[in-house]
Amino acid sequence: MKLSTIQSDAIQELGNIGAAHAATTLSQMLGSTIEMSVPAVTVVDLSHLAEYMGEESAAMVAFELQGDIPHGGYILFYITRESAIRMTNTMLGLTETNRPLSEMDESALLEVGNIMVSAFLDATAELLGFVMLPSPPSLTIDMAHAAMQSLIAQMQEETNEVLLFSTELTCEEYKVDSDIIMMPERSTLNKIIELLENLMKTG
Amino acid sequence: MIGIGEYRVGSFPMMTIGLGSCIGLVMFDPILNLGAMVHIMLPESSGRMDRPGKYADTAVPLLVRELNALGCKNRSIIAKMIGGASMFEYFGTNLNIGERNAEKVRMMLIEHHIQLAAEDVGGKFGRSVTFFPVENGKVVVRRANGTANNI
Repeated sequence: MKLSTIQSDAIQELGNIGAAHAATTLSQMLGSTIEMSVPAVTVVDLSHLAEYMGEESAAMVAFELQGDIPHGGYILFYITRESAIRMTNTMLGLTETNRPLSEMDESALLEVGNIMVSAFLDATAELLGFVMLPSPPSLTIDMAHAAMQSLIAQMQEETNEVLLFSTELTCEEYKVDSDIIMMPERSTLNKIIELLENLMKTG
Repeated sequence: MIGIGEYRVGSFPMMTIGLGSCIGLVMFDPILNLGAMVHIMLPESSGRMDRPGKYADTAVPLLVRELNALGCKNRSIIAKMIGGASMFEYFGTNLNIGERNAEKVRMMLIEHHIQLAAEDVGGKFGRSVTFFPVENGKVVVRRANGTANNI
């Protein structure tokens, strides 16, 4: 899988727009400023996945991409366990950081993931004129690699490489560090690239 | 460190991290002090030959062949498997790749007359594995919550 610089730039720009909307919603939920990284577009060979996602314990809210393509791949809201606790503490008015995650935390994480990913997909869909909807969310709080690997195993199109498209969202005030990671199926990626190329021609 | 679809053969300690629905399969020969480990992702190769370690149906014969080439007899090879979890409840229900992976590995081991001495599979949590071929095939399984157990 090889992307040209133009394709990679176009996907980055798409990510910028999606992540900006997601950042706005997170900013509203936390009542604080959110910083956003430049989206990273990486093609990862499966045998090297551990270099990107390791053993670290993280909360991940995953969604299947649905809509105009029924099984379009996956998108997830990723937040390290420490950040997750600081974030839910801010939302729930708690202060103790050295505690297990409760059902309340889990609902809060599901809700935040849902709102952010919906905002991300709404914005990108509007730009592309192509409907991408999130499936109901599914949460796991465990080793990042184990979760990611399980999603890749479920992809419809068998592949030795995945495209990870991630944008980091951080909140300096509450020390919250999170990512939105999109992992489209090859055919979905081709469709997105085609739509972006058309946009650039007409725009 | 053994990545998805990769394998190693030797007497040195081997490690793979973050098994979700994947399977870490180890085989060792306590007589020759040799072992092998593979990180399997899917049950069936459906004819794909490029990465035999990635699929249960090709990974088992692959390890057996490698150990046979070093002089190990099938009757002295002992296997252990780890992983095969279901990390996401919502997505896992209709597919359960973890369970299918484990089942395929069991079938393939029977077919090759390899004894399965221990397994730590299933559940909803990830596992990291360190394997010591010369310490009688000791396997240490760690979880995200910090607990570890030997199998």
